[in-house]
Amino acid sequence: MKDRRERVDISKVDDELTRRDLLRRAALGGIILVYGGMGAKTAVAGVPKYRHRELAGTLRIIQWSHFVPAYDKWFDDIYVKRWGRANDTEVRVDHVNLAELPSRAASEVASQSGHDLFQFLSPPSAYEDRVIALNDVVQQVEKKVGKMARVGRKSTYNPRTKKYFGFADNYAPDPVHYRADLWGEVGLRPTTWDNVLRAAPRLKAMGNPIGIGMSNELDSNMALIALLQCFGAYIQTPDAHLAIKSKGTRDALNFMRDLYRRGMTSEVFAWTASSNNDAFLAGRLSLALNAISIARSAEQRNLRFNRDIRLAPIPDGPGPRMGLEHVMGVYVIWKFAQNKRAAKKFLVDIGTQYTGHFLNSYFYNFPAFPGSVKNIPARLRKNTSYPNEVPGRYPILDQISKKWTTNVGHPGYSNAAIDEVFSKFLIPQMFARVARGDMSADEAMRAAHREMTPIFKKWRARKKI
Amino acid sequence: MRRRDSVTTYAIVVPFAIVLAFPFYWMLMTALRSDNDLYDLQQVPYKFNADSPTSANFRFLFEETDYRQWLENTAIVGVAVVMITLLLAVPAAYALARLSGSWGQSLGVGIFLVYLVPPTLLFLPLSRVIAELHLNDRLWSLILVYPSFTVPFSIWLLMGFFKTIPPELEDAALVDGASRLGALARVVFPLSIPGILTVVIFSFSLVVNEFVYAITFISTSDAKTISAGVPTELIRGDVFYWGALMAATLIPAIPLALLYNLFLDRFIAGFTGGAFR
Repeated sequence: MKDRRERVDISKVDDELTRRDLLRRAALGGIILVYGGMGAKTAVAGVPKYRHRELAGTLRIIQWSHFVPAYDKWFDDIYVKRWGRANDTEVRVDHVNLAELPSRAASEVASQSGHDLFQFLSPPSAYEDRVIALNDVVQQVEKKVGKMARVGRKSTYNPRTKKYFGFADNYAPDPVHYRADLWGEVGLRPTTWDNVLRAAPRLKAMGNPIGIGMSNELDSNMALIALLQCFGAYIQTPDAHLAIKSKGTRDALNFMRDLYRRGMTSEVFAWTASSNNDAFLAGRLSLALNAISIARSAEQRNLRFNRDIRLAPIPDGPGPRMGLEHVMGVYVIWKFAQNKRAAKKFLVDIGTQYTGHFLNSYFYNFPAFPGSVKNIPARLRKNTSYPNEVPGRYPILDQISKKWTTNVGHPGYSNAAIDEVFSKFLIPQMFARVARGDMSADEAMRAAHREMTPIFKKWRARKKI
Repeated sequence: MRRRDSVTTYAIVVPFAIVLAFPFYWMLMTALRSDNDLYDLQQVPYKFNADSPTSANFRFLFEETDYRQWLENTAIVGVAVVMITLLLAVPAAYALARLSGSWGQSLGVGIFLVYLVPPTLLFLPLSRVIAELHLNDRLWSLILVYPSFTVPFSIWLLMGFFKTIPPELEDAALVDGASRLGALARVVFPLSIPGILTVVIFSFSLVVNEFVYAITFISTSDAKTISAGVPTELIRGDVFYWGALMAATLIPAIPLALLYNLFLDRFIAGFTGGAFR
């Protein structure tokens, strides 16, 4: 009996493995290697995603890509990792561009899946039915560090349902940025809106107009609602009744029309959220309302006029001097969240000890619970490691946050109707109509009232206001 | 006479060329300029000033962000979607063009109408589908969804193209003993290369450009494609990293532009193939 192995002709085997076969097998192997990861987290199964499988749970967080990249690095790589180790939880943080937060939230709600903690940058009152109440979290934090700041409470609490629909961990004050060198030439300071109006023509003639947006974007919304307040005008009453039709609104609209004609340019009607930053940093603007991102960017780039940038409170007007927060960091826990327990614990911890967040955001994130950061004024007086920081620039933020910062919807709460008015940009549209000359102040005010009435009606019918 | 013709041609073509090339030039200039140069209105924007040109924006892109990973993800999704599109669209278009008589045309139009439904309407219901399939944060979510708009358009495009190929050629192959599939593979496909190439380039470009689904279905940074990763990492709050943004858009734009140019004649043939039938 012949050994079967003897029959194998080695040369034949070589012949059978043609170059084409080799390539085909290599390609097949490659495909299996690359797409074999179908069952893994991403198509290319490389580094395992869950490196801490021994941990008891996973907490998924989504929040904006912070203006200060170093803050995200600190938050993702140090803070949450330390918290995760201490709480036996793997924390995964995803970031999204500020403008994409609403669509991301809508998609998570539609699919009933996503992150355990979702951070909005304005009070998401319209989602009240989709999220769990966080009254217990707020109570726990208040027990440890004292009361939440009024701006935080009024942005996240619904007095009608007695529910904290969100947890405010921070807010950014919204100071006036102005160029002291340019205003010095005019011989005025933007302490009052009247001064702004008086200085505007000369500043514009110098090539440095005033920069207050009147377009469908966040900064315009904030600046113009603050302007309304300074003229004693409000969107709603303290008990959530529409109040836009008022003498104060008419005066504010007329004021803005005059300011636009005398000291601004038409580009403000097409601005995006970055436009006032860009124009200010390019040396074009003499004044803008914004969070400290303008000042910090000027420092980072060491612009020639960096030292001439000043921060100031909202100018005084005929009404009470009252500005707004610029962004309000509000975490919510969806009803479908997988790890509600860990999410709540995370919020309690973040709300209780906010010093790291305050410092690593370079004073951008102010604590919603003032007691969670000790001695804020002294910290603001100290220099940070931020490049080219101008000493003495930031202590004013303490006063601005305490005295001149309130919530959107003041003197009422940031309720669902306010949320809708805000996200539909009805206030900037009202101002733009008058400034462009499309409508008189009275007509624009009445039009805004007509647009807002069904919104308030709808949310009242839903028993949310 | 010839000189006058050529002057006329250039007079028409040069302004077009300038307008079309300008975005690339602007991207390149911005990508190579420092922030200080970029934001200084006293400087001439069409030449390098101060501390420019600089590679800082490119270094930032590759060293401080997951850009390399986004490029890889985009390529994976692009190739997979193109393959799926070809696999579905070519036989479907052929069947509609040849086999289904007058129904084919109406059905083709119906399929094309699906393409017109915007992603801004579809992303909410589709998020539910993706969640049910547990595909969130995976490239497979995009590989599954993107053919929903590449396939209808490609079918419509290829239908027109297949109609320009005389059926007599296939009949001849059938008479010679080829099967329907054989005729398709040996006669129709080789003649359809311009159309297929158009579908390849078009589908790949759509995948690279798509934003709504990419930002909705994927939130982890290392699973993002370029169109979702770039605005997330390079637009921080109200601060745009213009230099890095331009570098990030320039890098994928160049190979795509070269690809278009390389196959320009076939691409035009692909698009105009069914225009006169």
